[in-house]
Parts: sequence; C-alpha cells; structure tokens
Amino acid sequence: MASEPFLRRYRNWYAKLLRLYPKAHRERFGEGMEQTFNDLCRERVKAERGLFSFALWMFFETSTGIMRENMTSIIMQKSIIRVALGTGLILLIPLFGNLFVDGWDWPLPAFVLAGTLLFGTGLTYELVARKMNNKAYRFAVGLALATAFILTWMNLAVGGILGDHPANLMYPGVLLVGFIGTIIARLKPQGMSRALFAMAFAMALVPVMALIVGAPAFANGVAAVFGLHGFFAMLWVGSALLFRRASANRL
Amino acid sequence: MQKNKSNTPLTPAVLHILLALSTRERHGYGIMKEVESDSQGKVKMGPGTLYGSIGRMIEAGLIRESDKRVDPEMDDERRVYYKLTGLGQSTLAAELERYREVVAVAKKKQLAPSSFAYGI
Repeated sequence: MASEPFLRRYRNWYAKLLRLYPKAHRERFGEGMEQTFNDLCRERVKAERGLFSFALWMFFETSTGIMRENMTSIIMQKSIIRVALGTGLILLIPLFGNLFVDGWDWPLPAFVLAGTLLFGTGLTYELVARKMNNKAYRFAVGLALATAFILTWMNLAVGGILGDHPANLMYPGVLLVGFIGTIIARLKPQGMSRALFAMAFAMALVPVMALIVGAPAFANGVAAVFGLHGFFAMLWVGSALLFRRASANRL
Repeated sequence: MQKNKSNTPLTPAVLHILLALSTRERHGYGIMKEVESDSQGKVKMGPGTLYGSIGRMIEAGLIRESDKRVDPEMDDERRVYYKLTGLGQSTLAAELERYREVVAVAKKKQLAPSSFAYGI
C-alpha cells in the first residue's frame, strides 16, 4: 500500500512525541495512546482519506495534552516544595528558640516529630483541598486538619492531655473515627460533614470516659478538662458545618 | 481532577466518556468512536484529551482499568479496557439529572433553540 511508509513514519514520530509526557503518564497510557493513534491511522487509510492533515491535528492535539500534563506535574511538585518550605520556615521558630532563648531546648526527636506532623498535615491539605474549588470545603479541610494536628501535638510532644494514663489512647481512636469516616465518605462534602460530626461526638465522649476510668487530669479541675475537649469538639463541629455548607453549594 | 468535584458540572470530555462507558467496557479507540457516534460527529477527541481525561477520571474514582485483552473486532493486539465504577455511575446519573432539570426549566419557559431573540 502506498501510504504504508508514511504510516510507519507517522507512528515513529508519534511514539517519539509521547516521550515528552511526564514519566508516570507515559508509563501508564503511552502504549494505549500509540495503539489508539495506530487505530485511527488505519481507519483513515481504510477510508482512503489523506493522512497528512490528520497526523498534523493528532500531533497538535497530543502536544496540547503534553503541555497540560506537564503543567499538572509541575504544579504537584510545587505543592510538595511549598509544603516542605512552609515546614522548614515554621521549624525555624523552635530552632531560633534553641539558639537564643534561655530554657528553650528542643531535642532532635521533637524537631523530627514536628517536621513530620507539619509536612504530613500540609501535604494532606494540598492533596485533598486542591481537588475542590469550593472555598467552604477548603476551609473545612484546613480546620479539621489543624485541629487534628494540635491534638496530636499536645499528646505526643507536650504530654498526654489526660495525664500519664492509658486513657490517652482514646485520642488516636478519635482520629481513627475521622479517617474511617473520610474513607467511607470518599471525600464527598456531605459524608465528610457526617465524619466530622462523628469525630466531634467521639471527642466529647473522651472526658466522660476518662472521668469514669479515673484519669489523673481531673485533679486540676473537671471543668478545665471538659472545656478543653469541648473546644476541640467545637472546632470539628465547625469543620462539619463548613462541609455541610460546601455540600449545599452543589449545583 | 475532582474527587469527585461533585459540586461542579462535569467537563464535556468527562461526560462523554462516562456516557460511552455506561453500556459496556471499552478501550481507548472504542471510547473515541462511541463518543463520536453519541455526539453525531460533533465531539471529536484526540488521544491527548482522551487519555488526559481518563487519567483524571481514574484518579477521581469514576472509572477503572480492566485486564488487557484482544478486541476480536480489531487486530490481535492486547488492549486496556476501561469501565465505570459505582461512583462513576452515580456521578453520571447525577449529571443527567442536572441536565434534565435544566431542560425542564427551559421547557417551562417555553424556550427552544430557535426561540432565542437576544438583542432583537
């Protein structure tokens, strides 16, 4: 067939063009894209229609896709760099504290813990919130994550909120409620709202359970412990309401 | 892409791909042909748009890849097939419902494509 050499050449060029895709995209879809291009070329030849203009359009269209995917890839890398920079900047505060403030002495594990928590929280926010244009949804994610971060930090770095008592293990349980709820909700705002209400309820139950089992924190006053837990619960209720608002904004 | 950016309408490419996969699994070329047929030739997707959308739809949980297999109607090359997930089905249903509501409003206002007379 007369068009066979052209066909082969266009296929080769197209395969070369696909190398410009980000590696992850190329590895996943490169073969399929080549097959599809070949199928379309065959269809064109079978219909005895010219290949040149078609190939030109294909190359242009795919080049647009290459630019788009590379931009997405760069933006994602930028997100990671932004979170890492933010984490580094925040960690400068305790570092300067260590250097210039008397009595301030963070050990290395505290830096590692703070860095891991900050980076993990920031990256989770970037990954979850960037998928939504909705402001209420973004605020809700930010508030929920910030509250979880503070709670974890208070327990791990500052010491157990309920004193030296196994009752502190209820806090990871509260976070687990949110994690499971998030998986069930698949990040949909309505489901996320329910998950956050469940977290708030679980958090409100913690001091009640701690009081029953006699955690030492109540020695400093019952009201203070209930107040602190109520504060955390209210933050998650706030997040739940924001998710509900995001859900109501659905078109 | 949205995971699922459920509060915003779907892009035309995503909607057409969901429609194409609503009846059965298809490979890339099969999706393209179905989209062309569904839209009576008005929507023509190239591989760049198609596979970019497929990637984002997989990430959003709307579709998933099936095992590679040969299409008996084509050559003997093994191809990746794509199919709708439960989330994809419900997203498509919600989008079609949204369209139905819009059309109902248009009908209520007795609007037809030929009835627009803006600026006259």
